[in-house]
Amino acid sequence: MTRKFFFVLALMLLLATMAFAQGTSAPQGGANWPVPVAAGFSMAIASGLCGLAQAKAVAAAAEGMARNPGAAAAIRFALLLGLVLIESLALYTLVIIILKVG
Amino acid sequence: MWPTKILNDHLAGLGNALTGLVGVAPHARPWANFVVMELLVALILVVMFALLRPRLSVDRPGKLQQTCELAYDFLRGQAEEQIPHHGVHYLTYFGTLFFFILFMNLIGVIPGFESPTMNPSVPLGCAVATFLYYNFVGFQANGVLKYLGQFAGPMMALAPLMIPIELISHLARPLSLTIRLYANMYAGERVTMVFLSLTYFLVPAVFMGLHVFVSLLQAYIFMLLTMMYVAGAVAHEH
Repeated sequence: MTRKFFFVLALMLLLATMAFAQGTSAPQGGANWPVPVAAGFSMAIASGLCGLAQAKAVAAAAEGMARNPGAAAAIRFALLLGLVLIESLALYTLVIIILKVG
Repeated sequence: MWPTKILNDHLAGLGNALTGLVGVAPHARPWANFVVMELLVALILVVMFALLRPRLSVDRPGKLQQTCELAYDFLRGQAEEQIPHHGVHYLTYFGTLFFFILFMNLIGVIPGFESPTMNPSVPLGCAVATFLYYNFVGFQANGVLKYLGQFAGPMMALAPLMIPIELISHLARPLSLTIRLYANMYAGERVTMVFLSLTYFLVPAVFMGLHVFVSLLQAYIFMLLTMMYVAGAVAHEH
């Protein structure tokens, strides 16, 4: 059992050396360089806040379904609708990134 | 894609004639991928229902009839829940929209085909059609003046505040419908492609499974929001 473990560990460590194959790339100049940086930050912020909001929605829905299992269908419907509408707000940010970066 | 290539090689004149009807200048290769895929999805739907019609039977329903009855019951239940008493009148538009968007989303999962909804024009077309439809239905059910009176809000004193807010929110509806559907489909495909370039061949299948679930959900949500807008438009003041 430990021999198999060490074999798999050795295999993973050997495969990790492939990560050194990529060389370093020089930073690109150009007048528009903040655009991809801002795109990365804005998408991260939008996705993080969307995750927080959806977590609140799911937590409230789960508690509602636990308290009142008879209303589970209605609560599930409201949950799905709410999740999709919150998701679409994060997707607006993605659309701006698609339009501006490239 | 090969159907687009065939149409562009042989039927470019027809494509230019059709786009010329709305004043677009002639182009060397007028057929786009998404147009050809939309026509293919429409053809698949027509063939499916044309195959269904002669096989309808009350005593011994076949598998296709039972599947379509399941879908019809689901859509009718949703319509009656959103628009009490009158939902069935508008079910043809809701059902068509749902099946069309669902099949357009799902056809992109098949290797070699591309979802037409990945192109921003297609969700825009569906959203503009929905916008025109719910306003037309509102005019039809309530009369022009009474329908436009809904924009003024509950009290006449609030009208100068409510009218800009209502106008902006109504104009934001096709925008949000478009962007929601387009961004979900485009992001699903891009995520699969990016992970395909990062890791081995079959690992992005997980993302493709998520994309199938998101396709179903987005088609349902588009239809559900259309139903809600129609419900708001035909609401009678009791």
